[in-house]
Amino acid sequence: MTVTEQEIAGYVARVRGALNDLPPSIRDELTEDLPEHLAVVAVESGGTLVERLGEPEAYAVELRIAAGVGAGRRPVTGELTAFVNRVHARLNTLDRQLGRPLGYPTVRAFLHLLIPGWWILRGYLAAMLLTFLSADDGFGLLPRFDDNLQLGLMVLVALVVASVMLGRREPGPRTWPRHLLLLGNLLLVGFGLVGLVQLENRHGNDDGYYAPISVDSRYDHIRDVFVYDTEGQLVDYARLFDQNGDPIRLGYPDCDDVRDVISRDEVGSANPLLRGYPYCPEAAPFGPRPTTDASPPDLPAPPGTVQPESAATPTVPETSPTVPEAPPTSAPAPSVTPTG
Amino acid sequence: MDTTQLLKGVLDLAVLAVLREEDGYGYDILRRLRDAGLAEVGDASVYGTLRRLFAAGLLTTYVVPSESGPHRKYYSLNAAGRDQFARSGKLWRSFATTMDTLLDDRGRAA
Repeated sequence: MTVTEQEIAGYVARVRGALNDLPPSIRDELTEDLPEHLAVVAVESGGTLVERLGEPEAYAVELRIAAGVGAGRRPVTGELTAFVNRVHARLNTLDRQLGRPLGYPTVRAFLHLLIPGWWILRGYLAAMLLTFLSADDGFGLLPRFDDNLQLGLMVLVALVVASVMLGRREPGPRTWPRHLLLLGNLLLVGFGLVGLVQLENRHGNDDGYYAPISVDSRYDHIRDVFVYDTEGQLVDYARLFDQNGDPIRLGYPDCDDVRDVISRDEVGSANPLLRGYPYCPEAAPFGPRPTTDASPPDLPAPPGTVQPESAATPTVPETSPTVPEAPPTSAPAPSVTPTG
Repeated sequence: MDTTQLLKGVLDLAVLAVLREEDGYGYDILRRLRDAGLAEVGDASVYGTLRRLFAAGLLTTYVVPSESGPHRKYYSLNAAGRDQFARSGKLWRSFATTMDTLLDDRGRAA
């Protein structure tokens, strides 16, 4: 069906709709050669049928008056039909008025140009919907399947092409495939809108790459942990564990000399998160820095076992720390008795 | 007052006059009316008028197959239609004469 044929069919349908209150036989008789007439009008004159003949509803009124059939037998829905027709005519007027500033005869004509763009978007949305349905965890703005971006892009291209072909296909006479298509379009639009909202929300709290490591969002602001013993001495290479023996990881080494810190770590772990707290002893809030020649303890420090005394207590510095609450004493650290 | 308003009263007669020359189908009749100078005649008005005259028994119809497109419904005047045309024509002439006289007298005075 060409654009002109669609336009004619639409015009005829609206004229017939406006004559809905007439007995079917009279209505059929009044509109029987309308399609042919419109076809001739469309061929002989430029512009749309509406521009040439006026609104279908107005055409119907003129036809009705000239034929002398008046209002005829008005069914219960007559008033409603008349109201719908009035609204329809008003919308059409608005359509033309708003189209002028856009530089098009009607808004509808302008939107018509955007239809191929919608076909492409529809293909993309379909690919993203498949990604969403198949993905176990998060995904980005491009389709992926099993974390395979190439496959995702191939599927994307295929779906875009399919969507464009579907769009260019002439609508069939049967109505149920069209309803199905409409339903699918609505589904994709809904999916797209939800995705857009999620994207907008993600913008706000995307705070950094180590956010998932932190125990709780309450500790998001913690960048380092400083452990002080009863003497008020900063404990180096401290490790924190929870009740299950899992290491509690807070913060991230982001001090300037973090490279020194790592190289200092004799364990030589490439992952700075595996070394003990504090990551940046230089940034300690209280007291003097621990002596840098303190040897790191053996790496796995399972809870329950007791460290050797030399490692557990750092050497006491000569200058006393300036912590008011816990003034350090020069007394030796309490000895730890091993408990089986 | 514009032509559209005047047409409402005389479209029946105009359509009958066109059909008296020669049978025709809807669009053909519309074109002949326009060619005759009734440029402002509405498409729907002509089609509606044809239905009404047919329903009043003044016209007969017959279908002519068209080599391109659908079959066309032709209208022709029957005896009743010719009678009606003669009476309406007479009425119009007398009415027009009255109007002419009226306009001439008043026109001279103005």
